[in-house]
Amino acid sequence: MKHKVTFCPDDKQVEVEEGENLLRAAMAAEVHISASCGGDGTCGKCRVIVEKGVVEQRPTSKLTTEEIEQGYVLACLSTIKSDLEVRVPPESRLGKFIEREKAPASHILSAKGWEEHLSSWQRRPPIQKYYIEMPAPNLSDNVDDLKRIKRELGKEHGLEAEVDVDLSVLKYMARVIREADWRVTVTLLENNSSVKIIKVESGDTAKENYAAAIDIGTTTIGARLIDLKERTAVAQASNYNAQASCGEDVISRMIFSTKRDGLIKLQSLVASTISELLMKLADKAGIKFSDTSCLVLAGNTIMTHLFLGLSPKYIREAPYIPTASDFPWIKAKDCGLDVFGETYACCFPCVASYVGGDIVAGVLASGVSRSKKLTLYIDIGTNGEIVLGNTDWMVACSCSAGPAFEGGGVKHGMRAAKGAIEQVRIDCGTCEPMILTIGQTKPAGICGSGLIDALAEMFLSRIVDQRGKINVELNSPRVREGKHGPEYVLAWADETANGEDIVVTEVDIDNLIRAKAAIFAGISILLESTSVDISDVEEILIAGAFGNYLEIERVQTIGLLPEYPFEKVKFVGNGSLIGASLGSLSKEMLLEAKEVASKMAYLELSADNKFMDKYISALFLPHTNVELFPMVMKELKNR
Amino acid sequence: MAFQAPIDTYQGKIREVIMGGESNQITVGGEIAMPFHFFEGEMSRKPVIAMEVYDVAPDNWSSAVAKPFRDVLSDPVVWAKKCQDEFGADMICLRLVSTDPNGENRDPAEAAETVKAVLEAISVPLCVYGSGNIEKDGEVLKKVAEVTEGQRVILGPSQEDNYKPITAAAIGYKHNVSGLSPIDVNMAKQLNILMTQLGLEADRLVMDPSGAALGYGLEYVYSIMERLRLAALQQNDEMTQMPILCDFGREVWKAKEAKTEDEPSWGDPEKRGILWEFMTAASMLIAGGDVLVMRHPEAVKLTKKFIEELMS
Repeated sequence: MKHKVTFCPDDKQVEVEEGENLLRAAMAAEVHISASCGGDGTCGKCRVIVEKGVVEQRPTSKLTTEEIEQGYVLACLSTIKSDLEVRVPPESRLGKFIEREKAPASHILSAKGWEEHLSSWQRRPPIQKYYIEMPAPNLSDNVDDLKRIKRELGKEHGLEAEVDVDLSVLKYMARVIREADWRVTVTLLENNSSVKIIKVESGDTAKENYAAAIDIGTTTIGARLIDLKERTAVAQASNYNAQASCGEDVISRMIFSTKRDGLIKLQSLVASTISELLMKLADKAGIKFSDTSCLVLAGNTIMTHLFLGLSPKYIREAPYIPTASDFPWIKAKDCGLDVFGETYACCFPCVASYVGGDIVAGVLASGVSRSKKLTLYIDIGTNGEIVLGNTDWMVACSCSAGPAFEGGGVKHGMRAAKGAIEQVRIDCGTCEPMILTIGQTKPAGICGSGLIDALAEMFLSRIVDQRGKINVELNSPRVREGKHGPEYVLAWADETANGEDIVVTEVDIDNLIRAKAAIFAGISILLESTSVDISDVEEILIAGAFGNYLEIERVQTIGLLPEYPFEKVKFVGNGSLIGASLGSLSKEMLLEAKEVASKMAYLELSADNKFMDKYISALFLPHTNVELFPMVMKELKNR
Repeated sequence: MAFQAPIDTYQGKIREVIMGGESNQITVGGEIAMPFHFFEGEMSRKPVIAMEVYDVAPDNWSSAVAKPFRDVLSDPVVWAKKCQDEFGADMICLRLVSTDPNGENRDPAEAAETVKAVLEAISVPLCVYGSGNIEKDGEVLKKVAEVTEGQRVILGPSQEDNYKPITAAAIGYKHNVSGLSPIDVNMAKQLNILMTQLGLEADRLVMDPSGAALGYGLEYVYSIMERLRLAALQQNDEMTQMPILCDFGREVWKAKEAKTEDEPSWGDPEKRGILWEFMTAASMLIAGGDVLVMRHPEAVKLTKKFIEELMS
């Protein structure tokens, strides 16, 4: 249910879902209230008066009984329960912010609701569990154990296909079925037309069938546990890829892999991160490790090679050829996931050296490969991959953006996890910020979307110039000369989780500008080489491991995306992880992935000397060709 | 039917930048077609030549280029006057090399006094270039701007890391600025945007896309200049429509082909150096140079003749 919230005295309105946080509603309405604790409720600055309507308020010691009687609430602790009229008292006001045209609040397509995409595929997971009760053998019914299982599968579950079996299963099977008194659960891997028995367990465990979807990112690995019976996600976790200690980007990882024992080390590092995540997921969901019967992984070509222990050496050398783009189902323990011995795993097929399974997964999950609409799909990560096309044709390219969008290489950068600053507004008179964190706790760092927000705001409030240089002559304590050059203080030490000032440095900004320039340049070249004008594109989809609040407007302000109608831009979240999740639920989808991967054409940017030129011209806010960004320039002027 | 050469049409126009005080103004720019393409559009103004003068006697000039200035090298005022009166310089480019903190480290006020003295002695417009030291140039050019108020001096080189003080000084005392960028179309344009964003009028700007000598990167600078000019004229890109200043004299005389003296098989060293500078100048003219900063009087003479011939 939607509610209308009116803020006085600005007389600004916003429509939000019931249960939305009042401070977030204020941010959406471009009403700016002091908030320095990230929405934790500890700074007590976001005091507002509810004049009409109902909010649900968490208790706070920051308001006196008298104040509460007068209708005072802390915006960050209030959830909206009805239409509201809210007054922002003078002491809570942050001054006048930059007025801008509002993007519709619905520009966020969050990771919830991902399973609705599945309707387009048959819901038949590649890994199935069947409970069977067999008659015990006797002298007249004396077929062997394996035939007996197959017979029962055919009889009770109508399974007619040729059934294969793992030797490792045969080794323990005879004992297990006897101990279980001929009542067992058989796990089958259904791949294409073949079916294979991969596990036999005692008793009925058909309900405990889980899959883990894993996005192997260069910087971050995301994992989600899926209940295959209920078709729901039951737990989610992410962590930095431990390989980061061997180099930040795919190139340095490839170089590392050619050193002595380098490949083995990289493989075991990624396996250890995945292993830990899987254990964490099992813990969170309260299941046994062995109940995770299937892993579906999606990663870029190099990450996939390294996970499988394949040398990426020849990807790095011209003409850049991967060992394989299509991978077999494997046993997880063959890739160092020892705890998950009988778990089977499959990796999404890749397109080319620098366009991998993560993109294939994302393109499928977001519906691009089945859509008639000409879509631009952009995965913003350490590598920025861009796909243009629809169900008839697709062209992809890849550019190296660096880890900045995932908080890497940024002084106070962090993943989009609890405590990460994800939304920022800055008052252009006083340079005072308003910040909101994921989980509304004390800020611990800044995640990608927070950085984009911060840069956009710093640019519009003239704290940085178009080259990304901080103006240290500004008369504000927040702008200062730091140890490593000029910096802007987003949160003072006494408001942060670790008791340190959280700053955005000029070096951070430089990294972020380089990252956005690489992606913008990639987009420009992809459009140019297909002779498509941005106005011909019917939809833009953005994927990436951001928080929940990536604001299209800010993305355009810094020139990461061309100016384009807000309402046609959608944020799909971690497309790779959603794709992997769907793959674990539908073997049909996994088969289609192969088709999509082979259909996608690859555009090699390094073969094109135009890239460098486009890149340099994008190393500017919003862009050297400012005429491409009339809206942003208008905003800058009207500040 | 007779062959008809294809003719390009352009939408843009190069800005006109006025230099000098009220009595000695000259204007550069105004082109509406590619350089010397008279069949495509007018080029009403000749490119101008600014001759280099150092504020202290240079110690590393080869005798081929030092010879014509032998009697004036230690006095910038007389040197500048000689360039104007005897060698026909359209402008003087005074280099404040003495301010370099790694050299003599003269203070801004002292350097500004030299500028003032030179300005009083000459009747052609002035261009003042700092030592190239990022921080010091900001301070020095500010002082220079102050003492030359109203004379529309070109202050430079203004670079990405010191454009702010230099541009502010130019705005305050009404001068022109030369923006130096590292052989890149986009960076040249970015610097123009940054300086105009500070409030400097676009017609007070010239671009210095870095100097290069024949055999030492000339073709890079050439193609960058050509691309800047095409963007300005064909795409009507406002932020590339500034006249171009080519600072190559010092690059030429650094080249071993120009400065080597004891290599008889290479021919007469003086003639060789002069031709090296002239060939560079000729290329810069064809690429779209509006202000050429040059060193040897004979090269200047040849270049002037070349311009006359191209214009007629």
